[in-house]
Amino acid sequence: MAALTNIISKNLTVKPVQALLLFLLLVILLIIPMISGMTTITLFSRIFILAIFGMSYDILRGFTGIINLGHALFFGGATYIAGILFNRVGPTLDVLLLAIITAFVLSAIIAYIMGQFAFRGTGFSGVIACAMITLAFGEIVRHTAETLRDYTQGADGLTFRIPEMFQDRFMMYYYALIFLIVMTIVLRQFVRSPTGRVLQAIRDNEQRARFLGYDTKKYKLIALVVAGMASASAGIMFALLTRFANTELLTVQSTLNALLYTIVGGTGTLYGAIIGTGFVQIAQNSLLELRGIHEIFSRWLIFFGAIYVLVVLYMPKGIIGAFYQLHASWQKRKKHG
Amino acid sequence: MSETLIETKNLTINFGGLKAVNKVSISIHKGLFTTIIGPNGAGKTTLFNLISGLLQPTEGTVIFKGTDITRLSPMQRVAMGIGRSFQLTNVFPTLTVHENIRLALQAKNRTGYRIFTSYKRFRSLEEAATKLLEDVLLHDRGNFLAGSLNHGEQRKLELAMVLALKPDVLLLDEPTAGMALEEVPTMLELLEKTKKEQDNTILLIEHKMDLVTKLSDTVIVLVNGSVLTRGTAAEVSEDPEVLKAYLGGGILNETTA
Ligand SMILES: Nc1ncnc2c1ncn2[C@@H]1O[C@H](COP(=O)(O)OP(=O)(O)O)[C@@H](O)[C@H]1O
Ligand SMILES: [Mg+2]
Repeated sequence: MAALTNIISKNLTVKPVQALLLFLLLVILLIIPMISGMTTITLFSRIFILAIFGMSYDILRGFTGIINLGHALFFGGATYIAGILFNRVGPTLDVLLLAIITAFVLSAIIAYIMGQFAFRGTGFSGVIACAMITLAFGEIVRHTAETLRDYTQGADGLTFRIPEMFQDRFMMYYYALIFLIVMTIVLRQFVRSPTGRVLQAIRDNEQRARFLGYDTKKYKLIALVVAGMASASAGIMFALLTRFANTELLTVQSTLNALLYTIVGGTGTLYGAIIGTGFVQIAQNSLLELRGIHEIFSRWLIFFGAIYVLVVLYMPKGIIGAFYQLHASWQKRKKHG
Repeated sequence: MSETLIETKNLTINFGGLKAVNKVSISIHKGLFTTIIGPNGAGKTTLFNLISGLLQPTEGTVIFKGTDITRLSPMQRVAMGIGRSFQLTNVFPTLTVHENIRLALQAKNRTGYRIFTSYKRFRSLEEAATKLLEDVLLHDRGNFLAGSLNHGEQRKLELAMVLALKPDVLLLDEPTAGMALEEVPTMLELLEKTKKEQDNTILLIEHKMDLVTKLSDTVIVLVNGSVLTRGTAAEVSEDPEVLKAYLGGGILNETTA
């Protein structure tokens, strides 16, 4: 605990204005469940948890320049691990701990093996090979989940009971919020560490990083292991929130959702993933409500594509980037005017 | 004669029939400033790529400090003390100029694979980066993104990044290439300073003959992948074979002012 406070006080360098805004935001987030209905509470809990998934993807694509098309395997895999263990052993806190440990160990091992294959090449062909190999890993896990019907119920999806402590939606909101805050601090520390800075150098120019003496493959492995474990932690929380797992969590579409969160919010910013997740989830939810009006609103993929294209065309740096741009032009005007 | 730092033996690389570097056997002596000249396409950059490990030779060996490094990775060679810059500018464009240099220093000073300590904890690296920025006259550019610098400034940044590695030998591939003419004397000064201040071994690829004359202890002439001759700048620029090789190229007449 002392170590944690130490980290927070010494390294959480935020300006007073930022600190005030963060504090206000925190107050609002603490109040929300008290003044809103179950749907909103669950939607926000979902956003908090998926935002970690988005941030973990940002570590890879935004900070390191790795395209991982199988990233959902860590997230969905952890949801399944929790679900299967709750079903087989029982919905207790001990089992939750077991699920967390299992998910962390497995995702670290799989990330390591995946990286050994995916990070062999360099340059453009290396990027393509990485995308293909990670895609294959993701598909293998999805296929396995579909095949092991005894454990996963296959395409029907797996419902399970969870420890009593997490059954209350109201409290779950606060757990999810705390989880988001803790993981944001952890991942922020990571990208600000000497290792995190090297990841950004690799993203910019891997060859140059190698010629400075960095073992870039090792750094990419670290990024993948950290991102995989962060993603798995989100998967466990997701299990506690939804009490349900299906193979959709393991699809490429699931990975692409994470990609969309980071692109909408702003890649390589970490916080962008949180904003992007909020934006996309709320948009997706609103569309679901319009389903009654016309059948087209249930076609998420169409809107996925539309949002993607619009953001890439008009806000290439996402919401955070657009905000900074506005801020900069406002400062300029203040100076001149 | 001083100690040999780098030695190549019969170094050859074949690009689908084209022997870009062909049986090159040279030795680079410690503490000396050696310049490689030769017409475009002579194989100078390829030779650097072979020495620094970007390419593997078809034949021959590279020896550094008495060790055969032919099969080592670029990274291992950097660790042994070979630092290089690139003919085409090669920096981290979306990071600040200061951060570019700090990362080079971090590589040299091995902060390890720390993942939860802030990089700001390593104050000495930050200060050393600021100092290097001053050395290459980029002190007012520290907070700019490297990609936003003009070409000449980027070349200076590259030099600073190589210097940060404190290598035993610096391989500099045309540090003045593409620079505006009025910027070249600054680069010359920087190179002279590097040569003097640190007892560095420098291997330079350069076209501008007045620069070569001012800087070099010895000049190697590469033509069609092979060494044509070696000598002082004065010797090689009067060599009829060299003049013949450059005929039409006019490179020996190229000057900086
Ligand atoms: N990776 C490569 N693949 C194929 N050909 C190459 C490659 N690199 C260089 N070459 C060829 O090798 C020759 C020497 O190139 P280079 O070493 O860049 O010359 P220099 O630096 O002396 O101008 C050129 O004909 C060039 O086209
Ligand atoms: Mg060249």
